[in-house]
Amino acid sequence: MASGHLDDAAYQSQVWAVWKATILLSIVTAVEVAIALGHFYFFPESPRFLVNVMMVLATLLKAFFIVGEFMHLKYEQRAFIISLGVPLIFLVWAIIAFSIEGNYWLSMRPE
Amino acid sequence: MAELLDEKVHSEHLDMPVPNNNEGGEDSPMKISYGKSMMWYFLLSDAFTFSAFLIAYGAIRLSSPWWPDPNMVFNGMPFMHGAKVPLGFVTVMTSILILSSVFVVRAVQEGHRMNKKGVMFWMFLGILGGVAFLGCQAWEWNHLLHDGMRPFINIYYASEAGETLKYSVAENGPLDKTLGPPLFGALFFGITGFHGFHVFTGVMLNVIGFIQTANGTYERRGHYEMIEKLGLYWHFVDLVWVFVFLAFYLL
Repeated sequence: MASGHLDDAAYQSQVWAVWKATILLSIVTAVEVAIALGHFYFFPESPRFLVNVMMVLATLLKAFFIVGEFMHLKYEQRAFIISLGVPLIFLVWAIIAFSIEGNYWLSMRPE
Repeated sequence: MAELLDEKVHSEHLDMPVPNNNEGGEDSPMKISYGKSMMWYFLLSDAFTFSAFLIAYGAIRLSSPWWPDPNMVFNGMPFMHGAKVPLGFVTVMTSILILSSVFVVRAVQEGHRMNKKGVMFWMFLGILGGVAFLGCQAWEWNHLLHDGMRPFINIYYASEAGETLKYSVAENGPLDKTLGPPLFGALFFGITGFHGFHVFTGVMLNVIGFIQTANGTYERRGHYEMIEKLGLYWHFVDLVWVFVFLAFYLL
């Protein structure tokens, strides 16, 4: 059936790259859950803020694996990657703006 | 890889190569087919929709003096009635979706080799993963609804010390007003529901892709690019889940 779009060595290395990304994703998810449960059961006094920062960083790492390897964006033209990445600047603005606004609403509550 | 990207753009409808109509240029500057690039830009716009929901959730949660602890809310486990396993079931769901995504990547790779049987095998596993995820989500929704959670009625509330307490509908009867932050249920059901709708759509599309592969449509066309486009959508569903998992269960 194989019709020579890819030679075997390239195919093998691509398959391996995907399984490697899978293993990394599983490890990162396991670490996230371990941190969450560790905070819940053993170290409830540890600063929540630090835990949250670690969670966000782990999630961004997973997002890069999925977009780069599974969605193959790493291998596309740079101009194409930039055309998808630049609009996300609006999200950075929105996250900062609405976090500040949310905290302000809290500070304005009567109690 | 370069060989594949340099292929002439094909018309999906005519099943045959179409002439390059780029004015004054030989190749497309992005070296990506029309269909794949448009799928990417659709996913970009969809990412904005999901982000709008998640940012609204974040703003409301930050503005609330208290919020239920996800470890106390999401601790149900099927076949282990009454056992409390914080984050257990949702970790299983996450693993199922990631694995399903991996299976579809394998289908795309087999498509590059024009291996029809391989594409069918991995697409089938991918579809199975999607269905399993939907089943898990149905169980989780049913579990919360059964406990008395409603879009604007929250059964979880704060103790004096700020601990998460749960109101028992079975012992005290149904609630007619919320005890905790009222939007907790609305945001949870709304956002996970919107994601679940994407999973459902993805499963339907993957089933169509599977049937067309089985019928030899892509083999006759000479390439499995449609599987790549379905794969992009499917991985995006997985990508969104990573952020939903963060927002609702981890933070």
